[in-house]
Amino acid sequence: MLCNVPLSMVQKVNYFDETMTETGTASSQVYIRNELGLHARPAAILAKEAGKFDSTIQLILEDSAVDAKSVLDILSLAAVQGKTITIQAAGPDAQTAVSHLERFFLEGFGEG
Amino acid sequence: MSRKVLTGIPVSAGVSIGRAYLLNRGHFCLAPIQSVSEELIPQEVERLKDAFDKALEGLRDIRSKVPDEHTEHAAIIDTHIMILKDPKLRRATERYIRDMHLNAEWALEKGVAEIEDSFLAVEDEYFRSRVAEVRMLAQRVMNHLLGHQDFIKPITSRVILVAHDLTPADTVELDVSKIMAFITAQGGKTSHVAIVARTLGIPAVVGVEELEETITDDQFIIVDGLRGVIVVDPDENELGAYSDLKYQFEAYQKEVMHNRHLPAETVDGFRVQLMANIELFEEVSSVIDYAGDGVGLYRTEYSYLHRQKLPSEQELMEEYRDLASILSPKRVIIRTLDAGGDKIGKGFEVLEEANPVLGLRAVRFCLRHRQMFKTQLRAILRASQLGNIALMFPMISGYGELKEVKQLLEEAKEELRNEGYPFDEEIPVGIMVELPSAVMIADILADEVDFFSIGTNDLIQYSLGIDRTNKYVANLYQPLHPALLRSIKHVVDSGHRAGIEVSMCGEMASDPYCLPILLGMQVDSLSLNPQSIPGIKSVLRKLTLDECSELLKRVMESNSVAVSNRLVRDSIFKRFPEELMFYSSLLEEEEE
Repeated sequence: MLCNVPLSMVQKVNYFDETMTETGTASSQVYIRNELGLHARPAAILAKEAGKFDSTIQLILEDSAVDAKSVLDILSLAAVQGKTITIQAAGPDAQTAVSHLERFFLEGFGEG
Repeated sequence: MSRKVLTGIPVSAGVSIGRAYLLNRGHFCLAPIQSVSEELIPQEVERLKDAFDKALEGLRDIRSKVPDEHTEHAAIIDTHIMILKDPKLRRATERYIRDMHLNAEWALEKGVAEIEDSFLAVEDEYFRSRVAEVRMLAQRVMNHLLGHQDFIKPITSRVILVAHDLTPADTVELDVSKIMAFITAQGGKTSHVAIVARTLGIPAVVGVEELEETITDDQFIIVDGLRGVIVVDPDENELGAYSDLKYQFEAYQKEVMHNRHLPAETVDGFRVQLMANIELFEEVSSVIDYAGDGVGLYRTEYSYLHRQKLPSEQELMEEYRDLASILSPKRVIIRTLDAGGDKIGKGFEVLEEANPVLGLRAVRFCLRHRQMFKTQLRAILRASQLGNIALMFPMISGYGELKEVKQLLEEAKEELRNEGYPFDEEIPVGIMVELPSAVMIADILADEVDFFSIGTNDLIQYSLGIDRTNKYVANLYQPLHPALLRSIKHVVDSGHRAGIEVSMCGEMASDPYCLPILLGMQVDSLSLNPQSIPGIKSVLRKLTLDECSELLKRVMESNSVAVSNRLVRDSIFKRFPEELMFYSSLLEEEEE
């Protein structure tokens, strides 16, 4: 019947070098579970949250990579439900940024 | 000053005469094109930043005025704020100033155009169309660049609002009490402005071509929300005629509303139930306001849409129970889920259906997902304690299918008895008759149910094999097609022979021209939009069953739709020349 995406579908693949505290890189793959994909509201939430970090953050879908701090960029990805996106960050707070953004995907942007 | 007539889609009835107020946005043609000298560049960049900041401040201000319960509106404005803060838009615009020495206005135009270009390649229509909002928002920045202090200049007198389109943010910002009517270049029957206008009870015409090119601020215009006509700079005769129409319509509305609590009964005493079609629980207030005799069709799809999880039995039970108890003792007919997996989405197998309208939907879909279906049946049963709920199955195509859903209902009842839940043991069970197959065997089905409800919208489309929204065949949508009239009559007569009630939902039920035909067939009830109930009631109360039967007889003898349409239009119009100018009809005026 109703398929709840199991947590195992969200593969956490964190490449984080602990020695690089100043300029780290981190990335994670997330599954888009909310019905309408990364439509205007989740895109705005992501851009707003990404803007809180100093690191440069990219969202990668298939062969396109966009700036996670730009709501327009995110919308231009046209990421629909069921796609897998890679969040990639580079900078002083890369790891925190990736984990922070990852949460929103996990929670389906609070869309019930 | 020149008279001009524009046309659009009428989405909210009424007539307004007054001055236009242009919500100024849309095109950037006002922006002067200038080149900026090297030393003035930092200043120009600063001017741009300042305009962005002011526009943002304006949006935040609007955001703070959105009541908490309007979370949708708030989310839209939040998104708009993020678009104005977008680094991509800012960078592109700034680059045009720095690299090409363009002035801020022109750079903004170029920046927006660049963003628009980047969206051209997006295949998904939803995502591609988001870019329209960028231009709309950039207009706010443009207004500040051009020194227009307030984005929306205060409205001091009552005006007719003219806009490209209207967003929820605009309606928060506007003083709606000063608006007499809405006209927009974009939009359709379900757009935001249409809903707002109907709620406020003011006329609105949308989808008007050449609107922004034609109307200027403060121009004198007439808005005819009955027919979708706008007259710019009307001449004296028109002004007189429309003033009369406006006066008559308002008087008519008043009278109709005044009489809304009278029974829906013809002059010679034939009583019909006028019930409401509703979709949202919140609409229960309209049922009461417009004096519906109950709910003839409660569409239950809404609770299943746009959610991650299916609704629980408890949740559904509470929704149905609350609806029934508010309207008690009036009857509430709850229709079981009438959708397919595509609408409910998530979790259901994605089916490749070449033709979903003829595919797995309504009871077919529910019988495939029995657990989900039984949850809804149990919820309806548990809500039925007050005894005013009836249950209705959509899209029944045959006897076997009906037996199967009734079997499932019996199982649900048995479970509830065992679990000790009380429910109405006598709950009436009916079906929608909307497939030609069900029409043909109406006599067989009638022995199995407590009532029929004829769904004319689907019946017309399935019977005539046309999709009404397809403009190439829309002209074949003919409610008075002899095949349809015979179908409807057969269903009504079969039902009555078996001693069950026959009602009708669908647009035909709210068309005053079709009304005498349906009355002539002696349907027991009509179910229509709550807002249409008082008007239909007023026409109904002036008709006699005799004249309706006579008209029906003549129409049934006709073998041409064109002849039937003319017959009905002429005879009804002769009876109600004043009232019927306030209505449009499903019956096409045939070309001679």
